Amino acid sequence: MKRFLTLLIAVVIALSAMSTFAENAKTLKIGTDAEPIGFDPHTTPAHASIRIMHQMYETLVELDDDLNVIPELAVSWEQPDDLTYIFKLREGVKFHSGRELKAADVKYSFERILNPDLGALGSTPSYAGNIDKVEVIDDYTVKITLSKITAPFLASMSSIYCSIVDSEAVEANGDLLRADGGTGPYTLGEWVPDNRVTVNRFEDYWLDGYNFENIEFYVISDSSARMSALRTGEVDIIIGDSAMLSIAEAAPNVDVHKIRTRDYITICLNLNMPEFSDVRVRQAISLALDRQEIIDLACDGQAEVSGFAPASMGHWAVDVNEHPLYKQDIEKAKELMKEAGFENGFSVTCTVGLNDHIRNSGTVIQQQLAQIGIDVTVQNKENAQYVDDWKNHDFEMMICQNGAGSDPNRAVAFFFGTGANANIAEYSNARVDELCELGAGTTDVDKRREYYTEAINIILDECPNVTFASPYNYYYASSSLEGYSPTLNRPLDVRNVTKE
Amino acid sequence: MKNYIIRRLLTLIPVLFGISVAIFLIMQLIPGDVVTGILGIEETPELRAMWEKRLGLDKPLVVQYINWISGVVRGDFGESFRTGAKVFPEILARFSISAELALLACIVAWIIALPLGVLSALKRNSISDRIVRIIALLGVSVPNFATATLLILFLALAFGYYSPIRYVSFLENPLVNLEIMLFPAIVMGGSMAGSVMRMTRSSLLEVLRQDFIKAVRAKGAPESVTIMRHAFKNASIPIVTLVGMQMGILMGGTVVIEQIFSIPGLGQYLLTGIFQRDYPIVQGTVLFMAFIYVFINLLVDIIYTYIDPRISYS
Repeated sequence: MKRFLTLLIAVVIALSAMSTFAENAKTLKIGTDAEPIGFDPHTTPAHASIRIMHQMYETLVELDDDLNVIPELAVSWEQPDDLTYIFKLREGVKFHSGRELKAADVKYSFERILNPDLGALGSTPSYAGNIDKVEVIDDYTVKITLSKITAPFLASMSSIYCSIVDSEAVEANGDLLRADGGTGPYTLGEWVPDNRVTVNRFEDYWLDGYNFENIEFYVISDSSARMSALRTGEVDIIIGDSAMLSIAEAAPNVDVHKIRTRDYITICLNLNMPEFSDVRVRQAISLALDRQEIIDLACDGQAEVSGFAPASMGHWAVDVNEHPLYKQDIEKAKELMKEAGFENGFSVTCTVGLNDHIRNSGTVIQQQLAQIGIDVTVQNKENAQYVDDWKNHDFEMMICQNGAGSDPNRAVAFFFGTGANANIAEYSNARVDELCELGAGTTDVDKRREYYTEAINIILDECPNVTFASPYNYYYASSSLEGYSPTLNRPLDVRNVTKE
Repeated sequence: MKNYIIRRLLTLIPVLFGISVAIFLIMQLIPGDVVTGILGIEETPELRAMWEKRLGLDKPLVVQYINWISGVVRGDFGESFRTGAKVFPEILARFSISAELALLACIVAWIIALPLGVLSALKRNSISDRIVRIIALLGVSVPNFATATLLILFLALAFGYYSPIRYVSFLENPLVNLEIMLFPAIVMGGSMAGSVMRMTRSSLLEVLRQDFIKAVRAKGAPESVTIMRHAFKNASIPIVTLVGMQMGILMGGTVVIEQIFSIPGLGQYLLTGIFQRDYPIVQGTVLFMAFIYVFINLLVDIIYTYIDPRISYS
């Protein structure tokens, strides 16, 4: 009897262990840094939401790593003229409700985005704002006509803000904040706020290779707790940062994935100040910086020297390493300060906030600019206050991290066009504006590159912003994962990934 | 007694009203607003106007306040600006989690503090007293978040242990739930134990010096009865006051601990609300926490009457 009982207990333990193991292999657990705020791809901008929505929603096209436009829900497209795009849709794609995606849904999605009452993020000209009308040709063909030539249009169709959604799901729920109307490989499952979001595999998805039955996104906002969870096998992948790198590298069961980003860190100068309205002072600042030193000290060495069109922009990128203003030259900088009448320097306040890279760079830049007599006071602001100052252009000098985007129109016109949304330096150059107009008004890639390269070089010479680094992104994964190789566009793509 | 409780409950009304006005104004005054948070870099005047209208932020402040407070009176704390989810049910659900954590922390604190405090008072100035006092000092002075982070790292590095990441409620699975709560409760209870220990020691010492203790001893009562039935009971009033206050502080203290241990409690809800400038969440949670704080104080006052029959509120 005793023997029988012992055997029984052993079997029960073994079975429960095996079932836990089998369960584990079917579920991917991801440790994230922030709580999502809903899952409506047209109105939800938070990164924490977007990374989950990428599993649920799809767009007409997507971008590969070289920023070429490749098919997703549309298998092909043609452009009879500069204003018209005809998309041929993939047949047999189903929404998570089981209904087939048709051209009418594409029309519905863009009409929803452009509905002024929704306030959709994709309603601005950077995305779908220039769409004049959307017509259904047949069930699998849709024609989009633009009101003006918009060269970045096709690339912008890959944005999550331009996702194709299920009209019935929207109508049934009012919005998609807590509902699911997508066609992606995973459907929205349980959402336990401030703990986890589960997405479940969509069995009718048009591609195979999605081996995990569920993906669970856990919110672990404390970064060392997140790393501990990964090391102990509680989660399989974590959103990381460079500060965790040394711990991750020392851990035997952790793989480090480093990705170039399209972000860059830059010093924005308030051009309305008499000091900074003089281009020589701005150039002196650029010359006074030892960019590699800032990266080493402020970003743990985990960034590369970059301008505002970083290397990850592929063929649109402009390499600054040979640019004369990107090499430290204190003597030349002092000369320029003298010419500008600031031989004795001046005092300025530098606003920092948001993340450690920005905050830490403030201190290093303070030291470096002291060499040319600029006395910098670093002012660390709470995030919302920082954003407010950014929005109101209320600063003297501000260190910012911007995203250059996938099209040079974003990198140049959005940040440096006269009166543009993100032009917080209030920079204005007629030739740059003209080149941006030209660049957005043609779809000839070579011509566009020529226009934007010229504009970028003008801006690099005039230094309304002094850019110094493009940081890397880090994803840390358990070494028990096979086939996981994150990319900038699809950092959490789990296709063909398996867990031992 | 009944009249006293009713009177106390009535005084709650102006207190909560004051808090509601204060928190409403503070949320309006602090920089950064929810629309900026939602739209970020994509903000245009048209998009902003549209979102302000949708969230009701285009109305005058007084109207916004009246709309909100009239809902609160009816038990409707509004909806989250971000997710559209009702705030009040969420507060209740999360309160049960935070309250459980606070209660467990109290239990941990009592288990550590009361015996050690008594020991320390009885063996005054001995080696054990000194050790206990050093432990108490550490508990009071080392901040929660530091202990929490160190504990997580220590458990992960030394034992490869991380508490279960998937939150389950006590009713769903009591064992896993207690495992999740264990370390956060130890951290919070540990730091609370410091002050309770010091209070127990000093208040017991004071009572032990009084004449009635001499009388009890002279009567020939065994030492255990003298200490437990006479001295400790009389020493417990300041301890109960402290525990009551600590309970309120614990509810606030859970904010940091919940964040570090990823426990989806009220503190985490409030913090996410503040970061996202989600006014209904912040206003509702603060008002609710204030209510709980005042309510615990009332409870402490009532408990006095049971500990010390000389106290009466009639």
